[in-house]
Formats: sequence, C-alpha cells, structure tokens
Amino acid sequence: MTQDRTLRRLVRRETHSSRALPSIIVASILLLVFLWLAAESVLWLLNDRPLLASPAHLRQWLVGLPGSTVPAGLTAAGVGVGILGLLLVSVAVGKGRRARRALASDRIATVVDDNVIAAAVSSTSRLAAGLAPGQVTTTVGGRSVRVQVRPTSGVSLDLASIKTALDGELAAYALDRQVTGKVRVANEGAVGQ
Amino acid sequence: MRRTNRALNRILLAILGIILLGAGAALIAAGTLPGVADTWTTIGSNLTDQVRQLASTAPIPGPARSWWLVAGIGVLLLGAGLSAAWLASQGGGRTPRLAERSEGADGRTVVDVGLISAAVQDALSGNRNVLATSVSAWESRQGTALRLRMEARHGSSPRELADTAEQLVRQIDSWLGHPVPVLVRITSGARTRTSGAQRAR
Repeated sequence: MTQDRTLRRLVRRETHSSRALPSIIVASILLLVFLWLAAESVLWLLNDRPLLASPAHLRQWLVGLPGSTVPAGLTAAGVGVGILGLLLVSVAVGKGRRARRALASDRIATVVDDNVIAAAVSSTSRLAAGLAPGQVTTTVGGRSVRVQVRPTSGVSLDLASIKTALDGELAAYALDRQVTGKVRVANEGAVGQ
Repeated sequence: MRRTNRALNRILLAILGIILLGAGAALIAAGTLPGVADTWTTIGSNLTDQVRQLASTAPIPGPARSWWLVAGIGVLLLGAGLSAAWLASQGGGRTPRLAERSEGADGRTVVDVGLISAAVQDALSGNRNVLATSVSAWESRQGTALRLRMEARHGSSPRELADTAEQLVRQIDSWLGHPVPVLVRITSGARTRTSGAQRAR
C-alpha cells in the first residue's frame, strides 16, 4: 500500500504546478526590497548619502501620498496593486493543473502530456475512417476529448467506426480523470484527398 | 519530482497576495472616499510620533542613536534572510545514485543512474515510437525515486509506450532486487516536431 501512496504522490506532483516560478519571482523581489531598505537605513543612521531615497524621505512621501497625488492616479495605482494581489492569491489558491494526465498502470506512475494523447487519438481515428493526414484534429480539454473530422468531398464518412475507435482508445488509456469523447464533422469537405 | 515545499509556496504567495489586495484597497479608498485621505495622513503622523517616542526610550551613544533603530535594521535583514531561504527552498533533490547498500566490512554497493540510463537507452534503441529518453533519480520522503522521460513519436499510442515502460521497469526491478518507485513521463518535444509521423501499418 505504501508503494501505491508513493506513486499517487508522484502523479499528483507531476500533474500539478509547484508554483516555483511565481515563488522565485516574488522571493527575489522581496529579497531586493529588504536588502535595499536595510542599506538605506544604515546609510541614514550614519548620515551618509542615500542610494535612492532615505527612510525619512520615504516616510514623508508615504504619509503625504493622498495630498500630493491626484485622486484618480491614487485609485488607478490601487487597482493595479489590487490586480497584482488577486493574481498572487489565485495562483496560490487555484488548482494549478498542468496539461497532462495519468494513465492507469499497476507497477509505475505514468503521466502523459495532453498533446501526445491528442496526436494518438487523431491518428487512430484517421486510420479507422481511412482519411488522409490533416483531416482529423483533436483537442484534449479538462474532461473532454473533441475530435474534429473534415471528410473527403463526395465520399461518405464512416462516423460509427471513428466513434468506436475513439471510445476504444480512451478505454485503453484508462485515464485517471474521466473524459468523454466527442466527434464533430466539419461542414466543409476536403477536396481531392 | 523536485523537493520544492509546495504548501509553503502556496501559503506565502496567498499571504503576500492578501497584503497587496489590502494595500490596493487602501489606495482606492484614499483616491475615491473623501475622508480616507485625511485619516491616512493622521495615521501616518501618529505612527511617526510613536516610533520617535519609542526610539528615545533606549538611546545608545554614537551614530545609531537608539537600540530600536538597530532592531529595525535587524528585522529588515531577517526579512531578507527569510526571503533568501524561501528562494533556496525551490527545487533540488536530484541525485546521481539510485540505490546504495552497505555490506558491512566488505564495502558498499552503489547503483548509479547512468547504468539504468544506458540500459534503458539500449532497450529502447530499436523502438520506433520512442524518439528520446532521459533517466534521472530524485530523492523524496519515501526514498529515491526513478524518473523516466520518453519522447513519443507523433501519433504513437501512449498506452503502448506505457506498457513498454512497465516491462522495462519490471526488468530493472529484477536487476536491482528491490522495487523503486518509478514515474514515467510521456511527452512530445523538439524531436517529435522534426521527425515524421508514424506510418500506417
């Protein structure tokens, strides 16, 4: 059972983002700001020239901010800062799913990219209906696999065989998240295939 | 596979996001509501007075003037240190050794990832559906785990590739004598785009 839990953990970590990139960006900015403020404070205490602005100036600027700025500018800045905050919160709270999913297998944890699945589904559907390359395109979304078929003009399309091939393929993958296969036939046909 | 502390990342990002949201709300309020601008200035000057008072309670001779100001710089440096620690906690955990066993006085047996990598490459060299492989080992809480990345040919079935990988891993198991947790990633990459699609069989 421990093996099972380890594999589940591996899959979970592979299919979800670690938020490393936003964390690195935010931590770097924080580090720079803290170091800069500390340096400015030391320079201020030693009565030395400030690097950019001394803490006394910063305080004055911050306290007088509503008086020295036009209200519209203040509001706009507030909206900007708020959007940034909302972005961080949504990154932190959101699911962070990546475009890959797990395939059922008993010994190993297998994670497949969505575009590999799409390419494989396209290829099997295409072979099932006897179409040329490029007549079938597939999009893999969160819970659906949509197959778009552009039939050859003047040749009847074997829709049932495409559906069977699609369902068989998806059943063989046994993905961890249930997906439904949908086939859509384009109105325009491909000429001379 | 990396040893990033994901919960920490989420918590810290959420806290900073909430702080920024609060700051944004305060700025918007100061810009739109008439009374808030005055409150802002009053709070600001009150805080300044309090800090000045506090600074005068523990004076020290010399340029630093007060212990409280020194403590303030200490807090800033502490913040910088914590940010650096957060930065350093990202990633890591890759190891060149997959397995290791001490035989007491007789010595130690170490299995390098390179061995597995060479074996996997050799086993998959005849497989037309696998364009490239890479093998790496990562340390996790449950011991060392193996990660096998396979680049799939355009249109090849992930089920077939997964089954191939499973067979391969079972062979590795019998080699090593004890099962290692394995993660198989089936991806598309640069080689997928440049090499042609699978031929019809």
